[in-house]
Amino acid sequence: MRQNTAMKLGAIAAVTAVALAGCSAAEDGPSTSDFDTAMSTPTEITMWAWAPGIEAQVALFEEAYPEIDVVLENVGQGGEHYTKVRTALEAGTGAPDVAQFEYQYIPSFVLTENLLDLAPYGAGDVEDQFTPWTWAQVTNGDAIYAIPQDAGPMGNLYREDILSSAGITEAPVTWEDYTAAAEAVKADSGSYISSFSGNDAGSFLGLLWAAGATPFTYDGDQTVSVSLTDPESQKVVDYWQDLIDRDLVAVDPSFTDGWYQGLANGAYAGWLTAAWGPAFLQGTAADTSGLWRAAPLPQFDAADPIAGNWGGSTLGALSSTEHPIVAAELAKFINTDSAATLAFATEQSLFPTRTEVLTASEFVDQESEFYGGQRVNEIFAEISTTVDTDFQWLPFQDQVASSFVDTLGKEISERGDLSAGLAAWQDAIVTYATDQGFTVE
Amino acid sequence: MTTTSDRTVSRRGPSPQRRKLIITAYILITPFILVFIGMVIAPLLYAGFLSLFQTRLIGGEQFVGLANFGEALTDPLFLGGVARMSAFLLIQVPIMLGLSLFFALAIDSGRLRGGRFARLAIFVPFAVPGVVATMMWGYLYGDDFGPIAQGVRSLGLPAPDLLSSELMLFSMMNIVTWSFVGYNMIIMYAALRAIPTELYEAAELDGAGAVRIGWSIKIPAIRPAIMLTLIFSVIGSFQLFTEPRLLATIAPNVIGTAYSPNLYAYTLAFTFQDVNYAAAVAFLLGFVIMIISYVVQLSNARSGGRS
Amino acid sequence: MTSTITARRKQRDPRDRRSGLLTGLVWLGVAYFLLPLLWLTIASTKDNTDLFSTFGFFFGDEFNFFANLESLFAFRDGVFWRWTGNTILYAGVSAVGATALATAAGYAFAKFEFPGRRFIFSAVLGSIMIPATALALPTYLVFANLGLVNTPWAIIIPSIVSPFGVYLMRVYAADSVPDSLIEAARIDGASELRIFVSIGLRLMGPGMVTVFLFSLVGVWNNYFLPLIMLSSSDLYPLTVGLAQLQALSTGGGGSTAVFSTVIAGSFVSILPLVVAFLYLQRYWQSGLAAGSTKE
Repeated sequence: MRQNTAMKLGAIAAVTAVALAGCSAAEDGPSTSDFDTAMSTPTEITMWAWAPGIEAQVALFEEAYPEIDVVLENVGQGGEHYTKVRTALEAGTGAPDVAQFEYQYIPSFVLTENLLDLAPYGAGDVEDQFTPWTWAQVTNGDAIYAIPQDAGPMGNLYREDILSSAGITEAPVTWEDYTAAAEAVKADSGSYISSFSGNDAGSFLGLLWAAGATPFTYDGDQTVSVSLTDPESQKVVDYWQDLIDRDLVAVDPSFTDGWYQGLANGAYAGWLTAAWGPAFLQGTAADTSGLWRAAPLPQFDAADPIAGNWGGSTLGALSSTEHPIVAAELAKFINTDSAATLAFATEQSLFPTRTEVLTASEFVDQESEFYGGQRVNEIFAEISTTVDTDFQWLPFQDQVASSFVDTLGKEISERGDLSAGLAAWQDAIVTYATDQGFTVE
Repeated sequence: MTTTSDRTVSRRGPSPQRRKLIITAYILITPFILVFIGMVIAPLLYAGFLSLFQTRLIGGEQFVGLANFGEALTDPLFLGGVARMSAFLLIQVPIMLGLSLFFALAIDSGRLRGGRFARLAIFVPFAVPGVVATMMWGYLYGDDFGPIAQGVRSLGLPAPDLLSSELMLFSMMNIVTWSFVGYNMIIMYAALRAIPTELYEAAELDGAGAVRIGWSIKIPAIRPAIMLTLIFSVIGSFQLFTEPRLLATIAPNVIGTAYSPNLYAYTLAFTFQDVNYAAAVAFLLGFVIMIISYVVQLSNARSGGRS
Repeated sequence: MTSTITARRKQRDPRDRRSGLLTGLVWLGVAYFLLPLLWLTIASTKDNTDLFSTFGFFFGDEFNFFANLESLFAFRDGVFWRWTGNTILYAGVSAVGATALATAAGYAFAKFEFPGRRFIFSAVLGSIMIPATALALPTYLVFANLGLVNTPWAIIIPSIVSPFGVYLMRVYAADSVPDSLIEAARIDGASELRIFVSIGLRLMGPGMVTVFLFSLVGVWNNYFLPLIMLSSSDLYPLTVGLAQLQALSTGGGGSTAVFSTVIAGSFVSILPLVVAFLYLQRYWQSGLAAGSTKE
């Protein structure tokens, strides 16, 4: 991993943050007796989350704290979920106490001061349980805004049969290898190497992340920076422009029924996806079991591999909660209890963020028939150690995602000029940020 | 659309009898008016109030007068939506109402085998919620697995991509047409059945053909019904929401967040939390609808006067 | 009832008047309206794989209808049934309320002269043109302050306002309740409210059924309002529930492909209304005849 100044500063800041958080927890946070009282008082607490099967973890929590009754609601997934959370916050009533937040949405709720700082509630104590890059995503200075639940370090899932029929017997290590594989596969079976989709900003940003780019920064207050057109990002766009121009990659929107179809019937020989992808694929392309393999993402510099992240979630407590101690404990318990987090990893296929689970044999030793007996978890656990810790999000990621679809995404889906799309995206974000009163650096 | 046939029972002068009538009338309309004020007038005023402010993520809320309206009038996303809906209106509404009128006249003419069944079959899609209709057509439009594409390909022709940006608007028109032809047909058919037979019995005896009777007697006679469906269709097309919102999940790059003005207002309000601008957009949209409805009614009154 | 509404033409002799061309054209139309529903019926018997790999208008390799139903009914402990129940509750209560308010108001507008009548009626008619989004957000904020969001009331109260229903009932009352009857009752000494209940309501029956059906379908098929107002999936009606189920397949990370479940759900959810529609169809016609012949 590259060691640049920003990262070193970040590390120093993180260390300081922990130290400060430790202090403030002792001084300002609730005392042990406050905690015991809160957790043994009959309390109803609402949590909005869509993680499949999270009822199991909630049950463990209720077992540990029998006086607490958790009302679990699934109000939709992704965008719909945040819409509901924000609308309830805006209305000043009906918001949950605890909610699921994807990493990229945390800054936008920090900006509006809707997230409870968990540091006074002892959240700093669990920092060393988590992989550093996931922890970096939930903190800002001294504050800890959420507890990581799962993550999505990116890798490459591919059809071993299609690639080997085209003479490619090793997973592509570099992006040049990937291009070569795309050529061979296209010539051999007519399949595309994958679909490079223009509807999901998340996967594209994951690729930027894996190229070492840090397109966004946010200081937690009023200052943002947007540098989507810097050389690292440009390199990514240029790479895909070449594949698109030569018709070596599909540009179908992801997660649409046509795209599912493409994965299931071999129209795409692979999928550059996150650690939650393997289980997902298993559910959607069951007929191709045994034909798939997992590998790390191709690299620009094989000697210094970097991974990016796509997706994954956290649990955060909302500052409007009337039961901050209980809410903080719920978020913390579900994502740090050994039994709860192991179940997330092994039964609900959520990729772990706790190092204990990432090294647990129940997790890493799982052999997957769908992937020809590979230990897929082990591969992604390995990838997880190479994820860059610098990546940040803007406090208006909804706008970032929707303007992506209208600018770069449009160019991708129309096989147009990606560089122009990237520049238009940059402009749209900067304009929006300026209009909203941010200082744009 | 005000009724001209009010035969109201009233006494002139402030007699006790008349006062009793007025009190009764108020008792009868009060429940409706209360809810109407609470659910329509008050929110409308509130929205108007909201539209005069601007909230920024940094800096908070401030009074800006009509600036939001000025912004919307130069906002390509809003104008693009209005343009799309205007095209929708000009193309889809005539086709839909034309089909409705054709089916209504055909079934009313009695020159049809299975007319009763046809009437039911054409009306049934109205019972299918927009959500279900849109999902269903979404599958039917599928490029790879949709039966439309499969059918065209089996004829050896290249299948059109019905979810592409060129064809999406037409694909939506089709969904709305499918859903609402029956509904409009029933309104027209009901009006046709209410025409007194005497109106065209004489023409029939004179040997006038069905087409001629339809054109010069029946259609003028049900003009109010056609107007009603026209106004409702105008209002409906500008409020398009369910279709673009659900089709966006299968064609995200084609639809985006501002495909229809209604979808745009929704996204602004509920995703971007820009309540103020959303209110302005919704207001302008209502204004556009009112103008168009007014023009439609005016042109009807003009041509109605001529005939 | 006056003659314009119920006038039935003398039965004409249909023999020798049937047109083959017309029949052909209309039946082509019928095919267009029914084929998608046929597709839905067939598709509800397929699993995910067959759905995408077999011809749309023919059955798949396996008959999966009951398996789909099973997964639909098992989804989140049978929440589908709750959605169905909610839909019936919201649509039923709203339709009864809307009909009651519209009937009373329509009768008053038609049969009484009172100060502000013209103005109020114009305001009611004009409100038909207000886009739903203009009202949704402020209504949401008001309801939130009253603690009514995420309750059935948030759907029912806005839905009992039916300006079109008032218009229809006004026209219907003007047409179907003869003034002479009202006068006669007055001479007999009946109170105005009593006249409304015993004479007005009885004669306005078919119009009321029409308004009821309109409101019922409107609320049953509504997506926008519950989408905004409700956050508990236990309170969703079918439309929002099915759309959410569909979004599960297209939501990115952590998605599950449940296409066949959604299709089975769509199929099952439209059955009650389709049946009710076919059964009640004549009511549409009689009530609408009044509304659509006046200008």
